[in-house]
Amino acid sequence: MISLPSYLFLSFALFIAGIAVMVARKNIIAIMLGIELILNSAALNFAAYTRFANDNIDGHLMSLFIIVIAAAEAAVGLAIVIRFFQIKETIHIDDAAQLQN
Amino acid sequence: MGANYLASLSHYVPELLACLTMFGLILIEATYKEEQKTRGFFFLSAYIGLASVLVFSAFAITKEPLSIFTNSIIIDPFSSIMKMIMVLGTLGAVLITSQSKDIDGNLKPEFVIMATGVLVGGMLLSSANNMLVLFIGIETLSILSYVLASLRKEDERSSEAGLKYSLYGGISSGIMLFGLSHIFGVLGTINFTEMASALKTIQQTDLIVLMPSFLLFFVGLGYKIACVPFHMWSPDVYEGSPLPVTTFFSIVPKVAGLAAMIRISHTFFSDPGALNVGWVGVLSIVAALTMTVGNVSAIGQRSVKRMLAYSSISHAGVMLLGVLVINEIGTRSVVFYSVAYLFMTLVAFYVVSAVADKYGNDHFERFNGLMYRYPAMAVALAVVMFSLAGIPPLSGFVAKFHIFTAVLNKNYYVLAIIAGLNSVVSLYYYLKIVRLMVLKPAESTEPISGFSLMNQGAIVALCIPVLLLGVFWEKLITLADGAKVFIQ
Repeated sequence: MISLPSYLFLSFALFIAGIAVMVARKNIIAIMLGIELILNSAALNFAAYTRFANDNIDGHLMSLFIIVIAAAEAAVGLAIVIRFFQIKETIHIDDAAQLQN
Repeated sequence: MGANYLASLSHYVPELLACLTMFGLILIEATYKEEQKTRGFFFLSAYIGLASVLVFSAFAITKEPLSIFTNSIIIDPFSSIMKMIMVLGTLGAVLITSQSKDIDGNLKPEFVIMATGVLVGGMLLSSANNMLVLFIGIETLSILSYVLASLRKEDERSSEAGLKYSLYGGISSGIMLFGLSHIFGVLGTINFTEMASALKTIQQTDLIVLMPSFLLFFVGLGYKIACVPFHMWSPDVYEGSPLPVTTFFSIVPKVAGLAAMIRISHTFFSDPGALNVGWVGVLSIVAALTMTVGNVSAIGQRSVKRMLAYSSISHAGVMLLGVLVINEIGTRSVVFYSVAYLFMTLVAFYVVSAVADKYGNDHFERFNGLMYRYPAMAVALAVVMFSLAGIPPLSGFVAKFHIFTAVLNKNYYVLAIIAGLNSVVSLYYYLKIVRLMVLKPAESTEPISGFSLMNQGAIVALCIPVLLLGVFWEKLITLADGAKVFIQ
């Protein structure tokens, strides 16, 4: 029987993985994947808590909205990355270093 | 209980009008041909639409506070005043856009449309009473801001600014959601008022989960108002974005984030207890750091725009002082500070925009001898700089004075001393520009086209509130006094 702690452990692992990806990877697309991991870990949490802990349907609503808004954010983010790539011919995060102190 | 949906809509006129304005502007923009550059009718309808939003928000101030849409949105005098400040900020940014050369003519309508969208997000955020509305508000605000930052598509710096903004924004909203999900798990509801009553009967063991979760929640909001340590994106984004966009960013998202922060502090943390101590402690450290880091980093800058970006970080820190006292005096002082800050920022950016359009950059040297070429403009900029530094008898001083009153009222002496010292530090870089304008000879005598008679009139008109609020501030403080946060 899969219970609440298993889900929480999985989502926490996803969260840590997302943070690790963002910190370690230098590829902008990979960093955006890390953001998706974090958002999905939160969505999973909401769904799991609704199912096992408090039967409040609002949690499912939150999950749905997170999925929708993550898609919108990814769309805008990717459009900006494409623009950046067309100008700079690179998607390495260290090349985005023109604006600095 | 909240009113039903149809009845709710009648209390939701400002937001609906803002949405209508946005859609109307999209349609109007579609009727223009590519080569028509002026677009007078477009801007006229934008002004009319935003002004109507302003008027309807003003009507809501005098009404009884109530919660609508099954208690997910609260319309109270506080949120209405914050909405008015945001609308005024948007109006100012649109005015600067219509005159600026930093954004290409064809892109100006896009800026106005998306700025109205960001405004809708800010309005949602300032009256949010449940996690979902808060999240949607933050994302509406953010996603459109990413596009605004990278508005100048051909420009390397602008797209880099958009990239950085979207990466930092995505990360912080993800972290915030992770915190929110655990708060939901422990308290079992997404409604703020129900959460607050659940917090009263909490077990000690639940606090182990709740404390870090609220910290993660704070990350998301702190990112929106750009407080240290989540401020790294802000100077880069402010510098890379076109100037009208920077003006817009330094007002609307900040005010919206502060409004949400005030509502959350009042709802969850007004009762003494472990959570209250933790929240106030975190806010105190963050506020002190924000003021100091913002000011110290502003000193060495070459670009006036970047200097103003850092100074806006430090002003956010000062406003956080008004948030962390969690009482009515604090709320009142934040409202007053936001109004004063709004006008000071608009004037400063308006003048910088005209100078930057002429010379192609906004380094400090471009302001040399401005006093002898455009005395009215130099005096306006000097007044604003003095006001930003907090010198009496200007509005910036009165605003800071009220914040200090709120902090001292709670006996947070250390914070007051840090804020006072920061005021002194900020004098250095604010007065640097005044010194250059007065003491250095002018670099050239070519006229600056941005300082046409109409623009000079607009700048002087925007300057008047800065002067008047420094002397006749009782009216506004009485108004702000009525801006109580309503907790159902």
